[in-house]
Amino acid sequence: MTVVFELKNLNKRFGDNVIYEDMNLEIEEGETFTIIGGSGMGKSVCLKLMIGLLPYEGGHVLFKGKEVGDMNRDELRELRRHVSMVFQAGALFDSMSVLENVTYALREHTKMSDPEMLERAKECLDMVGLGYDPDIINRMPAGLSGGMRKRVALARSIAIKPEVILYDEPTTGLDPANINRIGKMIMKLQKELKVTSIVVTHDMPIAFECSDRIAMLSNKKFPYIGTPKEIQHSEVEEVRDFVQGRYYEDKDD
Amino acid sequence: MLSWLESIGKAIRDGVEWAGAMATMFLQAVGSGFRRPLGIYDIFYQIVALGVRSLPLATLMGVFVGMALTWQFGEALMSFGAKNAVGSAAALALVRELVPTIMALTVGAKIATGMTAELGSMKVSEQIDAIASLGADPVKKLIWPRLAAATVALPLLCVYGNVLALGGGAVIADKVFDVPAGYFYETYVDELYPMDYISGLVKATTFGMLVGIIGCFQGFQTKFGTEAVGIATTNTVVATSVSILVADFILTMIFLPVG
Repeated sequence: MTVVFELKNLNKRFGDNVIYEDMNLEIEEGETFTIIGGSGMGKSVCLKLMIGLLPYEGGHVLFKGKEVGDMNRDELRELRRHVSMVFQAGALFDSMSVLENVTYALREHTKMSDPEMLERAKECLDMVGLGYDPDIINRMPAGLSGGMRKRVALARSIAIKPEVILYDEPTTGLDPANINRIGKMIMKLQKELKVTSIVVTHDMPIAFECSDRIAMLSNKKFPYIGTPKEIQHSEVEEVRDFVQGRYYEDKDD
Repeated sequence: MLSWLESIGKAIRDGVEWAGAMATMFLQAVGSGFRRPLGIYDIFYQIVALGVRSLPLATLMGVFVGMALTWQFGEALMSFGAKNAVGSAAALALVRELVPTIMALTVGAKIATGMTAELGSMKVSEQIDAIASLGADPVKKLIWPRLAAATVALPLLCVYGNVLALGGGAVIADKVFDVPAGYFYETYVDELYPMDYISGLVKATTFGMLVGIIGCFQGFQTKFGTEAVGIATTNTVVATSVSILVADFILTMIFLPVG
């Protein structure tokens, strides 16, 4: 298997707050890799480091063997042409319609005509289950429900046909039906587009259902990595407590 | 004593770091402006958004500052029996100093806080990260058009404000001091040399640049949470006002010997 992302001996801190210390992680091509861990531990930071949105203090973040931290503007642009990200709250551009949001990366990276972009937007919206509805594509993000926003964000991220999709808590704040729908969509996109998916989530059913491998963040590293089955039946107390929704630190209570 | 000195030292260091980071962003924005695509549409969109929507405030500011200053000068000059010189007296103060500075302190602060609030909200909702993740340059997309637009809009608003201030002054001269509006206009224009207009416009352009870069920088520096947007916006008002007053003093020092 080809390694798409390799994080080696990585150190990342915000001021005095150390997020990663000598952290190592490898993501293989075509897999759905899920990152779990407590809130505020730096799971989203991991995704932002991969796509060069945050700098790191030491170690390596390698995309197909190339150091992300050393990339110049054009190389970063090329990286982001191949790796797209779905943000926690969608991060749709408030001042743009759904259509403009979905075609944003196409305008940045391609010379497609407006009808071609419209066609591609229709395909993507269809793929995420929104279908082509003139009322929806001309709507502003403020007029969309939470579930629709997530799906438009997903459509925006796949419009450019990326090789890797980074999902930052894609199901947060959604109702159970929409959580299920997003989970199915992640699997569908992985199957149809053959993308590598890296998912940060707190949603254990989604993690177990969608993932090929799961990594749990603990003590500034990923000490526990395994298949969903291995994680689910882990003998490690910390992993078991997290999976079962109990705080490891509270085990004496 | 030591902690007092430490606080002063920290405040100075923070100020220098703030100015340094902002200067770096300014250079990045200007550098990005020369890269293709030039983003002319975005700049014009921002000029309309920032400039045209500021016209009501600029109108009020221009008219009232012209009227207030003319009244003040008129009262003072009347006691010397020199009320006919009110146009000459008001001209220099308005064109060189008051219109550019008050325009920047009112309209400029409005523009800067608007930028901070908008960009701060985008930062908090990760829209700025989203722009970068989609392969675009947030500095080029967000800062450069706003910086360019503020730098163009403020001098234009200043010219507009000067015309209105002249009009407001003429009304007061005519109605309050019985100095005919036509005579007020002639003495007003006669008093001004090209360097006076240039000095006012250079000030307005500099203030526009400061307004643009401070507004954008503060927006990009916004921390997490909606409260942070409020804090960043408040800081923008303070930073913009102080920067404008300091820049005004420096430019006055430069232009006084010339003009």
